[in-house]
This record gives sequence, C-alpha cells and structure tokens, in this order.
Amino acid sequence: MTRAKPARLGPGAVAIGVLAMLGSALLGILVGSAGLGVGDVVLALLDGLPFVELNHGLTDIELSVLYEIRLPRVALGAIVGAVLAGAGAAYQGVFRNPLADPYLLGVAAGAGLGATVAFAWLGDGDLVPILAFVGGLGSVALTYMLGRSVGGRSVTSLILAGVAVAAFATAVQTFVLQRNVETLREVYSWILGRLTTVGWNEVLGLLPYAVVSLAVIFASRRLLDVLSLGDEEALALGVTVSRVRAVVVIAATLATAAAVAASGLIGFVGIIVPHTVRLLFGWSYRIIVPLSILFGAAFLMTADIAARTLVAPAELPIGVVTAFLGAPFFVLVLRTMRGPE
Amino acid sequence: MRRTAFLAAIVLALAACGSAHATSTTAVKSAQSTSAQTPGVSTSTTAEVGDPAFPADIEDDNRTIRIDERPEAIISLSSTATEMLFAIGADTQVVAVDDQSNYPADAPMTDLSGFTPNLEAILAYEPDLVVITFDPGDLVAGLETADVPVLTFGGAATIDDVYRQMEALGRATGNADSAAAVIEGMQAELAEILAMSTSTGEGVTYYHEIDSTFYTATSSTFFGEIYSLFGMVNAADPADEDGAAFGYPQLSAEFVVSADPNIVFLADVLYGESAETVAARPGWDAMTAVQNGDIVELDSDVASRWGPRIVDFAQAVADALRQFYGG
Amino acid sequence: MITWQSVEVVFGTARVLGPISIHVSDGEWVGLIGPNGSGKSTLLRTALGLVEHSGTVSFSNGGGNSGTAAAWMPQRPRLPEAMGVADYVMLGRTPHIGYLGAESRRDVARVDDAMTTLAINELAHRPLSTLSGGEAQRTVLARALAQESRVLLLDEPTASLDIGHAIDVLEVVDRLRHDEGLTVITAVHDLTLAGRFADRLILLGDGVVHADGQVRDVLTEENLSAHYGTGVRVVHDDAGPVVIPSRSKR
Repeated sequence: MTRAKPARLGPGAVAIGVLAMLGSALLGILVGSAGLGVGDVVLALLDGLPFVELNHGLTDIELSVLYEIRLPRVALGAIVGAVLAGAGAAYQGVFRNPLADPYLLGVAAGAGLGATVAFAWLGDGDLVPILAFVGGLGSVALTYMLGRSVGGRSVTSLILAGVAVAAFATAVQTFVLQRNVETLREVYSWILGRLTTVGWNEVLGLLPYAVVSLAVIFASRRLLDVLSLGDEEALALGVTVSRVRAVVVIAATLATAAAVAASGLIGFVGIIVPHTVRLLFGWSYRIIVPLSILFGAAFLMTADIAARTLVAPAELPIGVVTAFLGAPFFVLVLRTMRGPE
Repeated sequence: MRRTAFLAAIVLALAACGSAHATSTTAVKSAQSTSAQTPGVSTSTTAEVGDPAFPADIEDDNRTIRIDERPEAIISLSSTATEMLFAIGADTQVVAVDDQSNYPADAPMTDLSGFTPNLEAILAYEPDLVVITFDPGDLVAGLETADVPVLTFGGAATIDDVYRQMEALGRATGNADSAAAVIEGMQAELAEILAMSTSTGEGVTYYHEIDSTFYTATSSTFFGEIYSLFGMVNAADPADEDGAAFGYPQLSAEFVVSADPNIVFLADVLYGESAETVAARPGWDAMTAVQNGDIVELDSDVASRWGPRIVDFAQAVADALRQFYGG
Repeated sequence: MITWQSVEVVFGTARVLGPISIHVSDGEWVGLIGPNGSGKSTLLRTALGLVEHSGTVSFSNGGGNSGTAAAWMPQRPRLPEAMGVADYVMLGRTPHIGYLGAESRRDVARVDDAMTTLAINELAHRPLSTLSGGEAQRTVLARALAQESRVLLLDEPTASLDIGHAIDVLEVVDRLRHDEGLTVITAVHDLTLAGRFADRLILLGDGVVHADGQVRDVLTEENLSAHYGTGVRVVHDDAGPVVIPSRSKR
C-alpha cells in the first residue's frame, strides 16, 4: 500500500536544493567564453573576501569580466529562476491547475508588447525594461478587470480573460513588428530570453521585487494547500479565498513582470520546476514552494551555462535552452516517478 | 511569438528558393512583344530607338535580365542601389525610392517598403525597371507577370562586387560610361586613403559592432575586407573560424571585453549606442579602448551600405587610425 | 444557537430557498429531511456564507461564518489525491492556525483525537485516493471534528457508510454533542436514521419548511407521502418511528 508523502519539508530535501543551487552558481562563475582559468578564479574570489590577500593570476580586464559581467549574470540567473519557479508554484496553487505558469494571466504577452513598442516605435533599447514591466502588469490588470466583469469571481473566467488579453497583445505586437521589420532581430532576441548585458544594476533593480514577492508566496504556502480543497471548503474553513488569491497573484505577477523586464521571456521554468518538485518530493505547497525557489535558481543557472558554452562565444537564447533541457528532463521525471494514481 | 518567427523564416527561405529558380521570363516576354509589334506603330516611349546601348543583357545576383530600352521610370527598393543610381547619373530616371533610401537627400523617397513590398503600390508608379536587394516573397514573380524587369543586387561580399553592381546598373540605365568613371574615381580615392595610412593600421585590432546584442562582422565580410586593407586585425575572427555564421557571428560581452580590441567601431549608433553607452556597459570600462576613448561612432548608413560611400567608410577608418595612432 | 431570519436564495429567476426563518438552540440536534432538491444543502450553505442570500443568518457567539463558528462536512468533498489522511484532517485546524502560523502541539493532539474517535488512526499515512468510500467519509468527518467548532453542519455524513458504521458514527457525534455541548444539524436521506438521532426534524419541500417539530410529529405517513410523492408506511417501535417503503400493489 502506498504511503502518502507528509506535508513536512524535510531537511534532506532542503540540503539537496541548496547544494544544487550552490553547485550551479559555482559552475556558472567558473565557466565562460573569456577563458579564465578555474584556479585563478577561485583565488580571485577568495581574495575578494575581507581580510584575505591572495595572489591570483587575473589581469584587470579579467577581474572586470569576473565581477562586472559573470557574477551579476549568475546572480540574475539565480534570481530570475527562483522568481519564475516560485511564481509558477504559486499560480498552480492559486488556480488549482497543474498547467498554470507565471505567464497565465497575460504577463508574457503584455511584456513582449511593451518591449516591441520600445524597440520599434521608440527605437530606444533602454526603455525596454520599463515598458516590458508596465506592459506585463497592464495585461494582468486588464485580465483581472475583464475576468471580473464577465464572470465575477470565477477562476475559469479569469483564465479565459487571460487567454483573450494575451492573444490581443500578441496580435498588436505582431502588427507593430510587421511595420518595423528591421527591428525583428532585436525583438526576437529579447523575446527568447537572455541574461546578457547585465550588470549589478539590473540585479539590484530586480532584487527587491523578488525578495518581497517570494516572501509573500513563501508565507502563503500553507494556505495554498487549503485552497486545494476548492473555494467553498476553503471559505468554510475561514480562508478569505478571494483575498488570498489576489495577494498571491499580485505578488507573483509583480515579480514575474520584473524578471521578464530584466531577462526577456524565459519559458518552462515556471511549469517544469514546480512539477518536478511535486513528483520527486511531495504534494504539499509547504514543500513545493521553497524547493521550487531553490531548484528554479539552480535550473536557470545551469541552463545559462549551457546557453553560454554550447556555441561560444555566441549565445543561445536561454528560452531555447530551458525548453531543450526542460522538456526531456521532465519526461524522464514523469516516467520514473509516477505519483499515487 | 515563436510561431511568427518560424513563419517569417519559412517565408524568407521560400523566397530565396523562389528567386533562385526563376527563369528569365522577362527576356522571353520582351522578345515576344517586340516581334508582335504592329508595323508602323511605335511602342517606344522615348527617342532611344536605335540607342546602341539597348537592348542590354544585365546579370544580377540570380540570372540575366534583358532590358529593351533605356528605363525612364526606375524604382529602387534598396537604399544602396539608390545611392548607386544617383552616383552614376541615373537620377533623372528614378521616379521612386523606398522608405529607407535617405541618401542622397533629393532622392524621391516614398512609403514603398523593400521589406514588405506592396506589388500594386509599386506598379502604380508604372515602373520600367525595379531594383531590389532580396525578394521577400513573390515580388519578382509579380513584377514579371506585369512585364516589369527586376534586378536583384544583394549585399556585396567583396569590394569588387560593389564595382560589379555599379557597372551593371550603369549598363542597365544607359549610363555605362558615367558608371565607369565613378568606379575609377572610387578606386583612386581608396588607393589614396590607403596610401596615406601606411603602416598605421598594421596589426591594430578592432571590434565592429553591428547591434547591441554583439552581432559583429568578421574579416571575411565585405566591411571586414576594407578593414583588412589597412592591415587591421578583427578581434571576432576566432569566433567564426569555420564560417558557420557566414561572417556575422554573435559574440558575448565576456568575449569582447577579454579580447580587449584596440578600437571599437559602432555601426549601431542609429539604435542608440554611443561611446557613452559603451563605456557604461558593466565591465567594459576595463577595456583599453574604452579607457583611451578609442571608440568610433560610424554613420550607420555608411557602415551598412555597399555603394559609392564605401569610400567614406574607408575614410572614417583612416581618420580613426590617424586620431588614435597618429600618422 | 443559529438563527435564519427571512432567508431567501434565488438562482437567476428560480427561487431555490426561502423565505425561511428557523431558530436552532444550543445543544439541539436538528435533522433536515426532504426530497432531492428541496434545499437542504443550500440551507446549510447559507449558514457558511457560501451562497448569496437575502435575510440574515446569525450565530449566538456573534461569529457570522468564520471557520470556528461552524464546521462543515460537505456532501461532495474534494479530496486531493496525493494528500495523506492525517494531513487532510489537519486542514480542519486551519481556522486555529491562522495565515502565518504553524501547527502547534495542541493542533496535533486535536487531530489525533478526531482520528481516534472515528477509528481511522491506522489510515493516517494513506493517500486520500486509496480510501474506500466509507473510510473517506469518516476522514472528512474527522476533519470537521478537528475544527473544534460549537456547531456541526453535516451534509449526508453517512451516505457511504454501511449500517454498522453509520450508527457508530452518529453515536460518536451524539456523544460529543452531550460531552461538549455541540449543536448539530444533519441532512440525512435515511429518514429512520434521522429520526433515531435528532431531537427535532425539519421537513423541507421546494425550499420552504413544511414541517418542523418532534420526530414522531414530522415522520407521519401524511407528511411523507405528500412530500416524497410515494407510498410510505410509518410504524413505531419503542425507539420511535420507522419509515417503511411501500411498493404499489400489482
């Protein structure tokens, strides 16, 4: 007779998650097209610690590559991965739908439209993050208003509204692109996701959104388990379902919009990581949320390593890598671990 | 969104196949219409009956086109071709140019698009010759159905390609002599520019940036060839040694910074890049080129077109060498 | 105590319930009976704030429908497949744990008690999807009991239980009612069983109250035939009325 996994997050699972994250981070720092020697990098990092003085062989240029290009990039990968996976878990819990991902309510399409407008009409790449952020939030707000006006508090009408808004935003975006075909490459390069041209500025800009949002989602993890009973039973247990849903959705969407603004549209992380965690470690959101955050960071950092090295010095769009890595890996997990039927 | 990109790629691929398989139907049709002329009724609209330059057989990128008469209503959907046409003296024969043809300033710019051409809009000008750089899809076929000759001149791979295209356009428009003179002038100017920069450029490394996502041109490209004339070394060459990227690889920030080229040439000023934005990129301030201010903001048009202004491009390179390295 | 005051529920143009005014005192066990669609479940839902209604429903302790005022055992509960029984029963403690809290020893103890009371301790680690109908029903009831509310609203609590288990479960509820002073309202199809345990029966038909009173006064052939639309016979033993289905003569 099968035994249900308990709702508790075991220290072993946490340890695996932390190790995966640290391992990916370390590998990400050591690898790159600038050909920095592994030993030198380790020495340089240690030398960076206060009160530590070590002789590393890196030139000023190489130090610059390490601290200004590689480290922030790894950091961004970790934060974006954590946000997308955490938001994905939150969406799955709030909508009781295993296919929910952070882009469900139209964030992706809206952000893509914002970015396209920035590239095509304003011709200014610097405006892309702001417009992508605004576009992402705007679409979700539109989805919310549309869903409420059409279907009240029904979850289905909300999701359908998201589909409609996303389709509309995508259509407008395609139209704008068609009128400004010379910006095609820039727009698609952004849309397929990249962690490039990042400095500490982007990382620090994203950090507050990520921290606040992930804190809110983390705090709500037990409530997500209660929500799995359905809106009615959750209400009868004293949970103000619509408020919890609104808070979690807002937190998850804010962080997702900020992540998309920083790194473009990176798919698969928001669905695959939470599902894999669910299959491997247990059904409870008290497990899924924290582990998704850890493994999401690890997954994206690993994907970025592949993106940077497979066709070096060129880079694969990271959205392509997450799809390539994520899909077969997920099939593997599905086959080896079927949950209780 | 990925679906749209995929579709666009398919369309472009099919268009490329289509133009490669096109036969010189224009030549056949022109021959037939000539032989079907009613005796005594002249169908020529100009006084070029008996112009020894016509009919002319012109080789473009894909095939040979026969042009029966000196064209007087030329449409150019290529900004480079526009520059060429105006340089070789065909300016009075041009009735419309596309929305990207901003040079020379008196070229008759219209809303016509070379990327998403509208066949009817083009035909509304009643052209007797259309010049394009690539066929986005059925454009050539459509124009041929309307009996309008089309010349396709894509991006030049070498400097000689530039001369070849200009010479072809010269013969196509009845300005062969003028074109020859312009070509000679360009060759002389280039030689002069190079002569004045002897040895300054030898061994100087450079990075030619095409856009802010670090697409670059290696020395195997057209512009790379011009840099090579100065003896300069392209920092991006190791990134496309096997030619898999056809000379236009995409680099990463890490790669460029650690390669530390002597000079950075920006061909993406039109998209908002400048010496300031480059210096502000994280990690780039460690590069010697950034610290010395050896960043050249090229005119985006000059740095992307393979027409008469390649001389200006060479001059910009020479000026940069002189400014940064003296002599 | 609970008071429904002029409560009406309308879906579209159809009046599903009401107007109804009922008062239930502390410690009472009220059985809701009536044909399918008579509004029994809806009546319970109005007390939980799960359905829009006009009129008011109030609880004596002032709480409207916060989780601790009434514990609900729904007729068709949603059972997440992979969840374990013990964790499911623990969900009943949600109103006590609060948004940001964690389970305390007291919560664990209450869950333990509820599971012991319903004899499902050995099922503690079983996934919900592997339970039989009866085991699942006892689990859902355990969750309601773990909630520690003064009021129990049980919608068909014995539908999947064999007669032995059904009586056991209802005996348990009755014992708890006397020990802890709970108020119980059950909607039960089995009329005899309803009559055996409830102090008072309310017969609903077409959304309104048709009879409300002592068991022997409500369970009459006249009432039942009129509202269930079929021949029933009512006999009496020393415990009370027994409803016997009566087939039409051929």
